[in-house]
Amino acid sequence: MKQDNNTKMSEKTLDAELVEQAKKGHMPAFEMLVNRYQQRVANVIAKLVKNRSEIEDVAQEVFIKVFRALPRFRGDSSFYTWVYRIAINTAKNHLVAKSRRIQNTQVEYEEAESFSGNEAHRNLDTPDAVYARGELEQVMSKAISQLPEDLKTAIILREVDGLSYEDIASEMDCPIGTVRSRIFRARDAIDQALRPLLDKEQHNKEHVRSI
Amino acid sequence: MSDQSKQNISQLMDGELSRDCSRFLLKRMNHDADFRDSWNHYHLLRSAVQQDGQAPLMLNLGSRVVQRLQSGSEADKPSATSGRGWLKAMTGSAIAASVALLAVISFNQNNLSSADMDSQVPEYAKTAKQLINPPNAFTARVEQKPRYTRYPDLTPQVQHYIMDKNTQTVVPIYYRIQSGQQSPVQQSIQNQARHYTDE
Repeated sequence: MKQDNNTKMSEKTLDAELVEQAKKGHMPAFEMLVNRYQQRVANVIAKLVKNRSEIEDVAQEVFIKVFRALPRFRGDSSFYTWVYRIAINTAKNHLVAKSRRIQNTQVEYEEAESFSGNEAHRNLDTPDAVYARGELEQVMSKAISQLPEDLKTAIILREVDGLSYEDIASEMDCPIGTVRSRIFRARDAIDQALRPLLDKEQHNKEHVRSI
Repeated sequence: MSDQSKQNISQLMDGELSRDCSRFLLKRMNHDADFRDSWNHYHLLRSAVQQDGQAPLMLNLGSRVVQRLQSGSEADKPSATSGRGWLKAMTGSAIAASVALLAVISFNQNNLSSADMDSQVPEYAKTAKQLINPPNAFTARVEQKPRYTRYPDLTPQVQHYIMDKNTQTVVPIYYRIQSGQQSPVQQSIQNQARHYTDE
């Protein structure tokens, strides 16, 4: 049956297209998939793993497993549902392996008590990473708060409430083209605000690599 | 990059762009880093508003994962079977190949040394250990269990012993019975013999 090419490509179909490209070895497509679901995966892991620096390591592990298992993804469920299961299993395995390591190292009683008792001390992020991340979150938060009210409402209805453009148009009582434009302008405004910071971080990473 | 292209990326990530445009844009994004940067930054905003208090803000995790995959080993490539499945398949193939090789080698050696073998006394495995590791690997023969044996569970050695003993001439037990205790059969035979000698 011939498909109507003017119909929209749903998010599920978009994921399937990216998966197909990644299966063929197109790494940019896989990178796009990871960045698309990185935060949701991190949120899931954070429910089990409390150490913030470990969350990122486990998230990396999850996506490496996802990449290896891509040929077995048949698309019966949504891509995120499939990734979610892998994330839960990887986080559980991480906890089991970690508890074994702690038993094997025979930590002194006092050390063990302070290790498990002080959550703040368990965050092993480097100071630079914590600062960069904190700065990024601050800039992001400031940029969102400075958005014009109509742009802010449109982007919140889309990203937080997950409404479609049609529903947002109905909610804001405006044409769908206006919603399309407002959401794009909100994203672009935040992109412009973050660019200098992100470019600086990219530059720092390349500098570290060259050393 | 034009604003229209950026708006298309914004619509694409929301599933609000037509199929044709989406396919075209996806192809373009595979080759254009600027397009991918916009995709990543738009998703960063999504990450920020979806961020759970416990989780750190994820920033371009994709590039780190791809970097790790590209610098990693062969095991990081997508595979149709799991790691264990692959290992099992390889192990099975290796065993099959080894058995085939052993069969070819032993066949050739049997052909080459068949003349010598004929003159040699057959060597049988005498212990369980030798059954597994014969004393003379390719010349050793392990006696097959005779199909007609009454003791199929015994070792070949014990079966041979029994067979050897069975082939010795043994006087039937009733010949060893004293004359006063003769059986009716023996008595009739003796009577007949007397009858012929009397005649």
